[in-house]
Amino acid sequence: MDRDLLRQCVTYHGESLFNKLKCEQTENPDFQALVSDLCKASYESTLVEQFIARKADILFCPSWKTTAVKEEEHDEEEAAEPYAVMPPLELFMEVSYDERRAMLYRDLERGDIVVGRINNIREYGFFLTLLSTAGGLKRDIEDLDLSALCHIREIPSTGSHDDPLSYYQIGDFIRAGVKDIDRYQEKITVSLHQASVSRSLEHIKLGVIAREELPVHYSRSLSAASDSTETYEPILRRCHGYHNPSVVDYLLERVGISDTHPPSLMRGLQSKLFQEDDFASAIRKKQSTSWALKCVRAGVDHFKHGRHVEAMNEYNKALEIDTNNVEALVARGALYANKGSIMKAISDFELALESSPDHRNAKKYLCQTLVERGKQLEEQEKLVTAEGLYRRALSLDDTNPEAQDALHKITDTIQVMASLHSVYFRLEISTTIVKQAF
Amino acid sequence: MEGPSSRLSEARDGAVQPAGGRDASGEVESDSSRDVKTHFRVCRFIMETGVKLGMRSVPVATACVLYHRFFERVNISSYEPYLVAMSCVYLAGKVEEQHIRTRDIINVSHRYFNSGSAPLECDKEFWDLRDSVVQCELLILRQLNFHVSFEHPHKYLLHYLLSVKSLVNRHAWSRTPVAETSWALLRDCYHGAMCIRHAPQHIAIATLYLALNSYGVELPVGEKEWWQVLCEDVTRADIDAVISDLLQLYDMEAKCI
Repeated sequence: MDRDLLRQCVTYHGESLFNKLKCEQTENPDFQALVSDLCKASYESTLVEQFIARKADILFCPSWKTTAVKEEEHDEEEAAEPYAVMPPLELFMEVSYDERRAMLYRDLERGDIVVGRINNIREYGFFLTLLSTAGGLKRDIEDLDLSALCHIREIPSTGSHDDPLSYYQIGDFIRAGVKDIDRYQEKITVSLHQASVSRSLEHIKLGVIAREELPVHYSRSLSAASDSTETYEPILRRCHGYHNPSVVDYLLERVGISDTHPPSLMRGLQSKLFQEDDFASAIRKKQSTSWALKCVRAGVDHFKHGRHVEAMNEYNKALEIDTNNVEALVARGALYANKGSIMKAISDFELALESSPDHRNAKKYLCQTLVERGKQLEEQEKLVTAEGLYRRALSLDDTNPEAQDALHKITDTIQVMASLHSVYFRLEISTTIVKQAF
Repeated sequence: MEGPSSRLSEARDGAVQPAGGRDASGEVESDSSRDVKTHFRVCRFIMETGVKLGMRSVPVATACVLYHRFFERVNISSYEPYLVAMSCVYLAGKVEEQHIRTRDIINVSHRYFNSGSAPLECDKEFWDLRDSVVQCELLILRQLNFHVSFEHPHKYLLHYLLSVKSLVNRHAWSRTPVAETSWALLRDCYHGAMCIRHAPQHIAIATLYLALNSYGVELPVGEKEWWQVLCEDVTRADIDAVISDLLQLYDMEAKCI
């Protein structure tokens, strides 16, 4: 069990929860190991404590936490936002100035991105009045009187020998990376070097930005602040992203919760209780195979009674129900071979062997069919190709006498032809030499 | 109406209760409390089936709401509840654009009632079941006056999570499973009729509230509390009512299953 999380919870709820935990989790060895570590504080309602106590083994299990920290994507245009980007909540809650300042200094980190307006330019750098955070955090900071310094050496040189500061003017909007935060002296220094920004925010460009490029949550918070009827819910409904039909799926993925193995606090719905065999796709696969086999059996029966057309129909039906069903492919291949469609037969047998390389009948029939095909090729004088097929046939079924026989014969034939060819070739050369000599 | 649970199985205890029976503790129950337990079990069936069919949370929620709304005004003894549930799953898949094949619904349900059995053959029994599911779908549509589209708490909860997340230090948030817990609580709400008795925003806020509470997460306080801000008309009493209903469902699991 996660000790820190459990301690945070017990501190919040107090002694009565602690007692209930001890009572409900007596059989949990993980909890017993932590009992001495936990301390007590204030009070909360009994029903909720009872709930926490009963479900503690799930709630505090380390594997319960599936979400991973995923960084926000940035610079979504308003019209294309996949979900509703809302102004920071503390704006609506009217959290006090002091508290918001304290929260910012607690939570802002090196590598975050801030947006500010230049209020002063000196020879050693410029000062920004911070308006908003832009990556890593989402906070309302315009009225907190925060100022940040961007030293001249934190400004990338433009390549020319001009003073880099001359490029900037008072009133420019700047997006910068946080280089350092001095929480005690309440000083923030920023940088325009791309390297100052944390890895996940690398793609965000630093430097001067236009008014339109200000963070969406900031511009929305400006309009919300000016109009007190703009409360959270109306703004939410008005956001284009809220009406994205796949907003739930998108946000679930962002947050990192699986919708296919969903979490639950009910004992009977825990993921580990579900068995693969009970899932729809597994049952369907087994069922399709079974239904297909029924058709194949009917087809074989037709075949034995000479009803080849009906047999073919059954095999095709079987393959529609269960594509690449091995028995159906072998049966159909045999029927094709029987009718003389050698190539189609070979194709079916090969496909069957792909999924079941040890299927006895598939190997046997393919061997026989390859030999037949080899004989056809011999008649077309494609001896080398035919030899290849005979070799393949033997590799499938080395007891087949026809295949052995055919391979021996053709190997001999090829050798004879090869020596004849070499004699002919030498004759050719010597004739040419003789001709040239004259 | 003879239903699939009797045709699909002989032996699943508790699937169809005889009239005036006794519950696990041997006490004589009133009809309505027995009905509540049946509804709980059937919703459990819907949720398990939803997972095995790969259904997303919102279509499963729609299926449960369809079920609860159907039996709001209809007597449970008039219709086989498990058949209604299967049709609700089918209809919800259509409504929420995640189409589920009847064949899969029947396969999963059959195995639910006959654990470890072989899949059904393509025979009369199978086609009769399929017809029942499709006919029941029409029945449900008519009972609900074709109002089958609902607003769910899920969208609200996800946006609320993002808003609340930005109030908290990122490291504290990343080690606290508030998102998973609130999502689990929300899904579990659908076991009971509470999911249709409260407004979606209220349910979303209450599940988030309970999740934050469970881990002792402290949020900053301003002139207004975070939950007052997310939805203007929600009161502390509303939140407590939702939480209380939800906790009762967890108690019921212990008694029913």
